Amino acid sequence: MTTSKRWIPLTFKVTLLTLLLVWTLIPIIWMVLSSFKPNSVITANTPRVFFTPTLEHYASLFSSGNSLWPYLLNSLFIAGVSTLIAVVLGCMAGFGLSRIRIRGKQHLAFWIISTRMAPIAAVIVPLYLLFRYLYLLDTHAGLIVAYLSFNLPFAIWLMTAFFDDLPPDLEEAAMIDGATKFQAFRYVVLPLMTPGLVTTAILCFIFAWNDYAFAQTFSGPSTQTIPIAAAQLLTQTGIDWGKLLAIGTIVVCPMAIAGLLVKRWLVQGLTLGAVK
Amino acid sequence: MALLTGKPSTRRQGFELAMMSPALFLLALITLVPFFSIIWMSFNDVSLMGGLAFEFSGLDNWQRVFTDPDIRSSWLISLVYFLATVGLEMVIGTMMALLVYSLTRGSNIIISLLLIPMFIAPVIVGLLGRFMLDPSHGLYAWMLNETGLFDGNILGSVGSAMVAVILMDVWEWTPLVALIVLAGLTSVPEDVLEAAEMDGAKYAQKLIYIILPSISNILLVALLIRAMDAIRFFAIIFITTNGGPADSTKIIPIRLYDIAFRFFDLGYAAAVGITMLVFSIMVATAFTKLLKRQEKVS
Repeated sequence: MTTSKRWIPLTFKVTLLTLLLVWTLIPIIWMVLSSFKPNSVITANTPRVFFTPTLEHYASLFSSGNSLWPYLLNSLFIAGVSTLIAVVLGCMAGFGLSRIRIRGKQHLAFWIISTRMAPIAAVIVPLYLLFRYLYLLDTHAGLIVAYLSFNLPFAIWLMTAFFDDLPPDLEEAAMIDGATKFQAFRYVVLPLMTPGLVTTAILCFIFAWNDYAFAQTFSGPSTQTIPIAAAQLLTQTGIDWGKLLAIGTIVVCPMAIAGLLVKRWLVQGLTLGAVK
Repeated sequence: MALLTGKPSTRRQGFELAMMSPALFLLALITLVPFFSIIWMSFNDVSLMGGLAFEFSGLDNWQRVFTDPDIRSSWLISLVYFLATVGLEMVIGTMMALLVYSLTRGSNIIISLLLIPMFIAPVIVGLLGRFMLDPSHGLYAWMLNETGLFDGNILGSVGSAMVAVILMDVWEWTPLVALIVLAGLTSVPEDVLEAAEMDGAKYAQKLIYIILPSISNILLVALLIRAMDAIRFFAIIFITTNGGPADSTKIIPIRLYDIAFRFFDLGYAAAVGITMLVFSIMVATAFTKLLKRQEKVS
């Protein structure tokens, strides 16, 4: 076991890994670091690593006239509700789809996966028209529906994969003991599904939280999410980098932590159950 | 037990159907209605000025899709972008996974650090790209300038802008490939590797004859997942170059967005969107076929 793990010469390995780590981490570290720099240091002609840290950018984000709060609340609310709906319905449907035996099941599965894979730019066009017709532009409900268009099929598909991993013997044993199908699901299967539910929820939340294209098209003054706040600052002339990097740090850190929390199930989640 | 075995019957599967129906009903509502709308739109001249108006235009939009030189060049740029990003991500990601897998200690913390970019919102990846490449105070721009490698405006010049947006996508998504391949590497038969080693096999030989063949299916999964997302997302380019300079980074989703929301030519945009849908349906077909093959193997 140990011998076969030492395939690659050590120095070569360390050098390459260091390079990959540097390439991966430098922009993130530089963003977080720079978000604590005074503006004069950020815009200096030569990059500086040492400086007196300041919280001015974070303070200005939450105090000035154009506060980040509404954006933050919109993001939390829209991503949260769409995640909740996707996970609850996805969990129920996932169980049903995993256990049911009907003809044409694979066609049903294909339809579900193909809706998840649909290109966002192509989905936006008809949705924009429908939302305009239904007065859903610049509403929270509109964005929640838009996010469900990719999170619901994702949740159904992923929960099906998680339920497929659980042998039906358990429910069957419970039903022999007199439980109904619902009771077997509720009291035997569901408690074992915590990892699946948490993974699905976290990934759905990240997808919705990180979206830009839908929010850019469907949101208005009262429904803009954090990525829109970042984009608005980016398109101004004379970019306020300090503020932007502070927003970037706020958008990135919670999602990176949440994602790494479910690292064990991440492969299964992000490959839609194809890899375990 | 008899409940679940025996002939397929919908009568005894009422519970399963009841569990599925709310989600499937909602999914049908929010995907089929837009799906039929986009098809109908592609045969119409859709106008937004002074209220929504459809005017049937037959195959006009479709004719334009196949004759418009702008669309053709956008597909070409998409192809280059697609091959470069997915190609680099597959190669670097596999390398990353092999390196992490070969570690005897610390692999957990290292892979966690390497994974961070894929949780970052594409809009922030674009923001980071612009920040690092800013001509007057970007860290990477400064480094390229000091070393004499490049001293122009990276995102403002044809060629370098394309390289930059490709590398931003590679930066964000290589970790995903690494994560998938790493999962596949655990299925490489250890005993075969050890036997090969005793027979004096070199690393390259083990890689080509043992490791890569046993993870070929996993590599295919990674490839398909990346292929599908490569055409789904466009926020990085949207926020950095928005297709410029001189349309040199105008991949097809950006072109579509322009047609729809800058020129408000929604019928034409619908036709372009359907051609993109066809691509993603092909990827989905390949993906489900692969899944079925895997089920048969295991």
